[in-house]
Order: sequence, then structure tokens, then C-alpha cells
Amino acid sequence: MRALLLASALLSAAAAAAPPAATVSPQPGEAQFRALYKELVETDTSVTTGSCTDAAAKLAVRFKAAGFSDADITQFSVPEFPKEGGIVVHLKGRDPKAQPMLLLGHLDVVAAKRADWTRDPYTLIEENGYFYGRGTFDDKAQAAIWADLMIRMKAGKAPKRTIKLALTCGEETTYAFNGADWLAKNRPDLIKAEFGLNEGGGGRYDEAGKPQGLAVQVGEKTVQNFQLEATNPGGHSSVPRPDNAITDLARAVVAVNTHEFPVQFNDTTRAYFTTLSKVTPAPVGPAMARLLADPTDAEANRIVSVDPTNHSVLRTTCVATLLEAGHAENALAQRARANVNCRMFPGTDPNALKADLDRLVGNPRVAITLKPPVRPTGQPVPMNPAIIEPMKTIAQTHFPGVPMLAMMSTGATDAIFIAPIGIPVYGAPGTMIDPDGNGIHGLNERIRVDSLMKGRDYLSDLVMALANPK
Amino acid sequence: MRTLLLAATLLAATAANAQTAARPDQQAFRGLYKELIETNTTVSAGSCTLAAEKMAARLKAAGFSDADIRLFPGPAARPQDGGLVATLAGKDPKAKAILLLAHIDVVEARRADWQRDPFTLIEEDGWFYGRGTSDDKAQAAIFTDAMIRLKQAGKPLKRTLKLALTCGEESPAVFNGAEWLVKEHKDWIDAEFALNEGGIGAADDKGNPLKLGFQAGEKVYQDFKLEARNPGGHSSQPRPDNAIYQLTAGLNRLAAYEFPVQFTDASRAYFTTMAGMVGGEVGAAMRALLANPEDKAANAIVSRDANWHSMLRTTCVATRLDAGHANNALAQRATANINCRIFPGDSLEKVRGQIMAAVNDPGLTLTTDATVSPTPPPPPLTPAIYDPAVALAKKYFPGVPMLPTLVTGATDGRFLGAGGIPTYGVPGMVADKTLNNAHGLNERMSVSNLYTSRDYLFDLITAYASK
Repeated sequence: MRALLLASALLSAAAAAAPPAATVSPQPGEAQFRALYKELVETDTSVTTGSCTDAAAKLAVRFKAAGFSDADITQFSVPEFPKEGGIVVHLKGRDPKAQPMLLLGHLDVVAAKRADWTRDPYTLIEENGYFYGRGTFDDKAQAAIWADLMIRMKAGKAPKRTIKLALTCGEETTYAFNGADWLAKNRPDLIKAEFGLNEGGGGRYDEAGKPQGLAVQVGEKTVQNFQLEATNPGGHSSVPRPDNAITDLARAVVAVNTHEFPVQFNDTTRAYFTTLSKVTPAPVGPAMARLLADPTDAEANRIVSVDPTNHSVLRTTCVATLLEAGHAENALAQRARANVNCRMFPGTDPNALKADLDRLVGNPRVAITLKPPVRPTGQPVPMNPAIIEPMKTIAQTHFPGVPMLAMMSTGATDAIFIAPIGIPVYGAPGTMIDPDGNGIHGLNERIRVDSLMKGRDYLSDLVMALANPK
Repeated sequence: MRTLLLAATLLAATAANAQTAARPDQQAFRGLYKELIETNTTVSAGSCTLAAEKMAARLKAAGFSDADIRLFPGPAARPQDGGLVATLAGKDPKAKAILLLAHIDVVEARRADWQRDPFTLIEEDGWFYGRGTSDDKAQAAIFTDAMIRLKQAGKPLKRTLKLALTCGEESPAVFNGAEWLVKEHKDWIDAEFALNEGGIGAADDKGNPLKLGFQAGEKVYQDFKLEARNPGGHSSQPRPDNAIYQLTAGLNRLAAYEFPVQFTDASRAYFTTMAGMVGGEVGAAMRALLANPEDKAANAIVSRDANWHSMLRTTCVATRLDAGHANNALAQRATANINCRIFPGDSLEKVRGQIMAAVNDPGLTLTTDATVSPTPPPPPLTPAIYDPAVALAKKYFPGVPMLPTLVTGATDGRFLGAGGIPTYGVPGMVADKTLNNAHGLNERMSVSNLYTSRDYLFDLITAYASK
């Protein structure tokens, strides 16, 4: 989970009328679920010291014990990265005409150092209503919920659709082997589905621990890093010359900064801003409405884009994040480099963006190159009512009165790798985050026990519903 | 193949053995020079203290008493960074002394990288090869040799002459002998003025002099750190306030800023002479700029040349950048090193003010590191100093013009200047386009230029000390 960004504006939208509370019976098999979750959290899957392959193997044992045949289970890894493997499991549907659905999760976690943490990061510890441990939220909560659900469904009546579960490695590390990417490129049939559910949605508690809002992620921006490099013959710094690598680079960086990419909408962001425009006080709410009517309305853009989240949801953004230049204090720089981190609006071609940057910089002494990895061009994910509506309906039972908003993530998930083989992936609502971010990627990562269990209840019902379309 | 190799070896051997036919006094000088070159005085493996002891032995042999020679070690942690001060009393106790300053330390040299052993004096094809042959053991040898010859002549001059051979010019951050003398033993070296390195002239690629340089003043080296800080955040949601943009926008304003034109005595004389030499539009622009330093059109013409641009003003240029900690995070810190060459006499505070005004962003911080240079005023270029140098040059370097210069690099003269001793880089020695590879590989010195400079400087020192 690179960024779980639930707009703060959503909070003001939480004034929906609460329907009468319905009773939800908890999903059965909680002890078994806890054991699976514990095993997953306690298996170190960091890129530095862990092994996703081990975690996948432990899950395979559980799947076999639950009755999945060898043919239903695919463990995979590549020789170059033997510890960065994953697993795909098929639960066969009863209707051969129904398209399969995909449940996606990642097994790997961000590295955690025991010395820095209050508790052992790779021991699941329940304390004060929280589970502590690396991955308790990101993304082993969802991975455990999916795996547990597959195991329980195996014992029951087969769903209409085939359900495919893919748990992969490498989501957290840009330059690592990415299992989702590998599957899409090498074993597309194994994961081929009409749609997928993934992380990236979720929901949010307020400071008091009361659910504020749920989110379904529909589409995401794509990361692309560019290198800007200015070169110069350099020379002795006692005799500066008009042409200078650092000056060339500094001008280029300012040119990139001062450029505002045009406002764009897709189905998701149109729905998102439409909802927000109705509940956000003036002047921002009405400005959203004007911007929806006319994306070139500069004044409306100015008002809405004051909020960095809105600003980023509305367009491609590019920002210089690293600078490095020169080799000695007393020498004119021969090389000056910047990393420009772009978040491309879905559908943006990275080469077209490079052409934009070339035009903006307009200096042949500054070379602009795409830095690997070059991600697939992000495709817009449709606001499919067959998926969104059950999400909302079921939420009304599980989270009465809590509004749900469809949003486009400005961060990136593995969905970007699955999209090119024609599988729209939705970030499912359900597991809720605290306002403090729960230590995700940081120290003392944690999840409310209640968030995990209620998320499991909700997602179980949701998957059942989506797997058995009428 | 073998024949060819043999021939090549033979040729090399012949060349190596071929020495310029030298006068007996030049032979003696050559011995002193050789001893200095062959004493390793690098900061890593050498000892200036040892070199100073060897020079002290020569001075004693020439008749200097123990009282005339002060050998001093380096600081406790670096005893090898020592030097010496020798005094040759003048006959007029009221006449102020003259200081001869040279540094005896050298830049590192690795045998594996050089064609010849850097610490063996090798004469080849009219050149002396070896580390320090040019920077600065030529001058150190000439000054020490002059003290010896004047002592041996037995006829005191009017003024007292002092010789200081010091360590650490090439690595002032470790220890600098000249700075230490000024601070701790000013009385040992006190003088009306000092003669030093820095007056290097220009030569063709055979080492023949084209121009002589008389250095009166040097720009002062100073690094500043310009820094922007920011809370940072996730790069998927950029904000208008950003450390990298704040820094780069400031740097762009600094790059567009032109420090005001200034002149010293030396640069005024330089441009006056140069205006006549280059003539035309550029010569006219130089004259206009001398008349009115604020003449923008004239400045634009003269400053097309990067060297002249730098001689006319303080320059500050960003030489290093460092910002950010991850591809996907907004930078929390962005830093630039600003390398300034401060016009003689301008204070650090003045330049700091000029930078901050140019950068025009109070959110950026400007700091100096621990090493802060003194900023002495330029030494006055009086006729009493300059005229004898020109007159004697006509004898030893007939037809070679002399130009006063303001150097954009730095010598130990800045420490003496700050201590109230105006310091001049004397003319004589010249360097080709590579600056005789000083600081580089295969450093060298033209044999004939070394000997001619020795004769010229002996006469010049005698002339100064006699008045």
C-alpha cells in the first residue's frame, strides 16, 4: 500500500442519514483465521531479511489441508529471486459461463528493525484492542482475509464464479521483482478474470475510533521517474562561465515546478468531485462544480487545487525529489542531475509526458530520460455498478450510516500491473485506518482488532455476493 | 622490436644525462634545489620539518649563526609540518625588514601515476621534472640560495632580510605554517612587505617567457552553504512549498546576479596595460570601465572573457547540489555549495549580504563551514615596489611585457596580508598552458627560466633591500 489517501473532504461528507442498525452475525472460524493471520505476520517477508516464498509455502499447506488439489495451487518464483515468490489458488466455480474474479494481495512488507520498534515486529502481539506487528495492516490483513475466505468457501457450496487468489511479492519495493507484474506477463491465464479486488480502498476512523467513511479505489495514477541531467565541460570555480550545469538544471527544475498540468477527469474523479461538490462548503464546493462543468476554468482550479490531494487527483503532477551535482567545492560542476517523480493521470503515455518535459525545459544541454521501471500506461477503471453497488449495499448492513466514496488513488498499487491484461482492479472498502496512519511503513504498525474482524465480515459477504451474481 | 626498444632506451638515457651547461654558482644552486625536491614533503608521507632542517644546515654552512635560524616543528599532532625562519641583519636598524616567503610542502604524487619518480630531480630536454619543481620549491630554493649568497658576500644590505619556509600551503585545513607564524610569532617575520609566489607569467610550450606577472592581491576563497528545509511528504501529492524549488529558484536568482565591478591598484594597472595590448572595441571598453566601473555596456564587452570577468569582481557560483532522500518523497532538505572568490578587501559579511540580497528569499539559510578565510585588503602597488621589478626585467627578460595581476586563486599571502604585511607575488617564473602541471602529473620547470629567474630575483631582492 503505497498511499492510502482518503480525502479529508470525505469527512465532511459523513452526514448521511443512518438507516436502522441491522444485526450482522460474525463470520465463523475466527480462531482459525487468527492462526492464519498470526502465521503470516510472523513470517518475515521484508525484501532485506525475509522470504515471500516461505510465506506462500505455509499458506499452500493450509490450502491443501482445506481440500485444494495440487492442480488448484500454483506456487511460483524465478531463479534470480528465489525468496520473492508467491502463490495463486483457484476455487472452481459451478457456472462455467460465469467469468472468474480475482482477489489480489501482497505478501511482502516494508523492512522493520527490532531495535527501532517497541515490540518485536515479527511477533503478533494483541494489546489495547490492537494487533501490533509489521504487515498487520499492510497488506497481511487483506491477504489473510482472502486466504481464510478461500479456505472456508472450499468447505461450502461452490460459488457461481471461479475465484482466483493471487498473493505476490515486491509491491513495496520499486526496484524489486514484482510478482503481480510477472504473473500478468508470464502466466496471464492463471489470473485472468473479469475484475479484481485489491488493497487501496478501505476506510477511516475518527480520533475517537468511530467509523467516518469507507472508500473504494477505482483507478490510480502511475508513477514514472525521469532523470534530468545537465552536463558541462566544467572548469576551475575561480573563473565561472555563463554556461553552467547547475544553472541549467536549476532552470529546468523551476520550469517543471512552475508548470501546471491541465485538469482532467475520468469516471471515478468525476463521481468523486460531484459528491464532494455537494457537501463541501463554499467557496471550494461550488468551485468543484464549476470545474466539473469546465475543466479549463482557471479560477475554479485555483480554489480547488489549494488542497494538495485535490490538486493531485485533478492532474498529472511532476516534482523534483532528488538533486545531485558537482564533484568538488572548488570546481565548476560537470554534471548536475535531478530525479523528477511524476504521478501520471490514468491513460497518460510516459513518452508523451517526456515530450512535455522536453518542451517545458527547452534546453538541449539538459537531457531527460525515463528511468526504469517504466510502468504500463494506467488505464481508467470503469465505475461498474455491478461491483460498486454491492459494495455500497453490503456496507449499509455492516457499517450503517457510514458514507462510501469512490476515489482514484494518487499513489500506486499492484493494480497497475494487472490492468494491461484487461482486468480492472478495485481497491475494496472494509479495513479501516486511524487518523494517525497506524504506523504503516513506519514504526509499530498496528490495526484495530475490530477493524480487522469487521473488515473480514464485510469482505466475506462482499466476495460471496460478487462471486454469485444474479 | 628489441632494437627499437634499445634505441628508445638509449635516447632516453642520453636525454636524461644531458644537462644544460651551468655556471659553478648554478651548479651549487642546483644541488640545493635537488635536495629540496628529493625530500618528500607531502601531507601524507613527507616531512617539511626534515626539509627545513636540510635548508638550515646549508644556511649554517654559509655562516648563519644558530641565533639567526629558528627551526620550528609543526603542532603536537603533526610535528612533521615544521619550517624555519632565518634572518640576515641589515646595516640600517631603522630600515624595515623584507620577508621572503615560500612554502616547502607539495601536493601528493604517486610514483605509479608518474612517468618518472616524482621525488627524484630529473633534467630532460630543458625541463626539470619532479613534484615541487614549479610549486613552490623553485621559489623556496631561489630565496634560500639568495640568503646564502648574500651572507657569503659579507656585505650587509640596508634592510634586514627574513626568510620563512613554511608547510601546509597546499592543505591549510591540516596546518598552515604561515598562518601560525602570523598568529603566534609575528615578530619573527614582521616586515614592511613580503615577496611570495603567485606572480607566475605565461610561457610558450617550450617554456619561453611570453608575459611576466606581478601579483599584487588575490581573491579570497570562501565556501558557503545555501540550504532550504521543508517538512517534506509523499511525492504523490506535491505542495507549492518545496525545498528543491526554493533552493533552485534562489540559485537562479544568484546566477543572474552580477557582482559590481571593482579595481585594485594591480587590476587597474593590468587593464590599463591590457587596453593598449588588445586595442579595438575591447581595449576601448577597458578604458571606459576604468573611467566608470558602472559602465554596463563596457562591462558587457570586457566580461565576455571569463578570466577578465572574474578579475573584475567577486564571483559566487554553485558548485555542488545535494537534495532529497528518496525518489518518491518530497525533499526535506536541499543544499548547495556556493564557492565564492571574494574581491580583495571585501568582508565576508558584505559578500553574505550580497548573496542573500541576490537570492532574495529569507527562508533560505546561508552558512560558512569551519574554514573561514581572512579577507585582507589588496597590497598597494607603489612605484617603489613595481618600478624596480620592471626595470630589472628589461635586463633579464628583454622584450617580455610585465602585467600586474590580481590572482583568482589563493596563496599564503592572504594570511600575511591579514597580519598587516602586504605581500607580492614576484615575477620571473613562467608557466605554459598546463601551468607546468603544478598539482598534476609530471610537474616540471623550464631549466633556463629557473636559472634566469634566480638571477633576476637575486638582483630584485638586492635592489629592494638596498633602498
